[in-house]
Amino acid sequence: MNAKSKSDYQDILIKGLWSQNPVAYQVLGICSALAVTVKMSTAVVMALALTAVTACSSLVISSMRKIIPSNIRIIVELAIISTLVIVTDQVLKAYFYDISKQLSIFVGLIITNCIVLGRAEAFALANDPIDSFVDGIANGLGYGLILVVVAFIRELLGSGSFLGFQVVPGVLYDLGFQNMGLMVLAPGAFFVIGLLVWLKNSLPGISSQQK
Amino acid sequence: MGDLFSLFINSVFIGNILLAYFLGMCSFIAVSKNVDTAAGLGFAVIFVLAVTSPVNWVIYHGFLAPGALSWLGFPDLDLSFLKFITFIAVIAALVQAVEMVIDRYSPNLYATLGVFLPLIAVNCAILGTSLFMVERNYTFIESIVFGAGSGTGWMLAIVTMAAIRKKARYSDVPEGLQGFGFTMIIAGLMAMTFMMFSGITL
Amino acid sequence: MSEKNSKAHVILFALILSVLCSLLITAAATGLKARQQENMALDKKVNLLRAAGLVEAGKKPGKETINALYDQRIEEVVVDRQGKVIETPDPDGMHLYFVHTKGAGDSHDLKNISGYIVPINTRGLWGKIHGYLAFENDGETVSGFSVFSHSETPGLGGEIESAWFEKNFKGKKILNSQDKFVSIGIAKGKAADLPKDKQKNYVDGISGATLTGRYLSEGIKNTLMKYEGVSVTFRQKQLKAKDASPSHD
Repeated sequence: MNAKSKSDYQDILIKGLWSQNPVAYQVLGICSALAVTVKMSTAVVMALALTAVTACSSLVISSMRKIIPSNIRIIVELAIISTLVIVTDQVLKAYFYDISKQLSIFVGLIITNCIVLGRAEAFALANDPIDSFVDGIANGLGYGLILVVVAFIRELLGSGSFLGFQVVPGVLYDLGFQNMGLMVLAPGAFFVIGLLVWLKNSLPGISSQQK
Repeated sequence: MGDLFSLFINSVFIGNILLAYFLGMCSFIAVSKNVDTAAGLGFAVIFVLAVTSPVNWVIYHGFLAPGALSWLGFPDLDLSFLKFITFIAVIAALVQAVEMVIDRYSPNLYATLGVFLPLIAVNCAILGTSLFMVERNYTFIESIVFGAGSGTGWMLAIVTMAAIRKKARYSDVPEGLQGFGFTMIIAGLMAMTFMMFSGITL
Repeated sequence: MSEKNSKAHVILFALILSVLCSLLITAAATGLKARQQENMALDKKVNLLRAAGLVEAGKKPGKETINALYDQRIEEVVVDRQGKVIETPDPDGMHLYFVHTKGAGDSHDLKNISGYIVPINTRGLWGKIHGYLAFENDGETVSGFSVFSHSETPGLGGEIESAWFEKNFKGKKILNSQDKFVSIGIAKGKAADLPKDKQKNYVDGISGATLTGRYLSEGIKNTLMKYEGVSVTFRQKQLKAKDASPSHD
């Protein structure tokens, strides 16, 4: 076994975070990207939860990859992922109660989040545990990046705040500025993601979307 | 009866599981290129939802909810934290059964749907419906109606999207927006349209 | 390669995995249960305090502050339909919360109680809405409203838990100008657009959430009708106190 050089890990990190970003490029994990991005606080917690689950599940599945029977492979992966999600949910309810109330069912839905299962199938089954762990972190952070950007826009335009703190000065409200209600609702989320993807595709150096 | 009808209509239009709650997006984006495939998948999803929702209701209220096990003599036990894993197991099992039935009776549909049929199991809309059913404390009948309604709403959205994308094939979409980006914009406009239903009272 | 797919291996693997997963899940759930229940109790207390106006809307002070404030000022009782406090458990009893004035004793005299809080549990568009409606001790003026659990659509019906909606309830009255019970209604649009003598019985509606508003107003009305006995008791006590006070003219 060759010792992994720093640049190999860097490669994995850059792929997950940017060039093969799970949301913007691979089009995975959209459901929660739209639902929990009304405020930045929920987006950050969701991103951390998903990163933790993806990294740990990839680590565990990769460590067991040589002994998992092939005909129950998917079920085994789902079982491991579900267990990790349940534990995460319990921890959130105990230590971040208010945010867990707002995240409601979306923590449970990490189980069906295509990113977690997708990385397990596409990477963890064919690579060693440490690499898989890093890949999980990278994809989780890539997902988190998109979530935080979308939430930043939606919260700023929709509520005039940043991480819960009012940033749009009262003076502007008096002059007639109104919060963009659309941003808080479903259509706003769709539009923001659509436009962000367009922006990303127009930037140089990114693998462009399959048509 | 009126309440059930109103629940059904609400789940299809105002609280459309895809356009209002964002569940079921992955297969929505991928399969909505062709109206027939979309309709086939839609029917499969309606069936899976109408069955998994009440089955999960029985399992939750019979075994997992706080105090549910009092019929076995354990009134203090609260196993609700197991709901994620039991629900997904039920869903995976049912989807496997649906797969076998479709393969037997309509091999064409089976071939066209391809990998998306087993992917119904990890469609967030399916698990999400069961989780909403628990969170909103529905009765058994309500869970069936809610499951069927959510499925119908999902199918309506996916078929409409397929039809729109078919028409849009001749539009001049900017290169960076083609594919996923454009689908998101259409979805946003569809979501706005469905929101109009919230002004209708029954 | 075939070894990992042999029947024995599959069964053994599945068994061991199930046991390990169950252990992990159960350990997490039972180990954290105490904290979770504490969080839920704290949430209920802070919402009662918010409704009573003792904690600012949208703010959540520390655990010790919440518990101290709750223990000093809020008293949970069970009342009957006539508004009398009952000591023995009664299935028909209704929950109520008295708000004690600062530094006052525990008695139920008007000078020791500055208000009361009615729990509102009504159906919403999707699931149940749970909240608290607080009244001043005159039996007709609302002093605050807070929603602590609902399943309404975020951004639409979900606005019932936002500060602006809850603040609007303060100062509204459940009796109209003819002193008849009308409860608080949720207007379609702004309450200021209604005729002047009706404005005190309505709050601004939430645009796009007519149904949630309707369910909530119906729920509040039905609940308050049940608690009219309590409100009447306070109105009578208030009248008695006014008559007894020499400065009343």
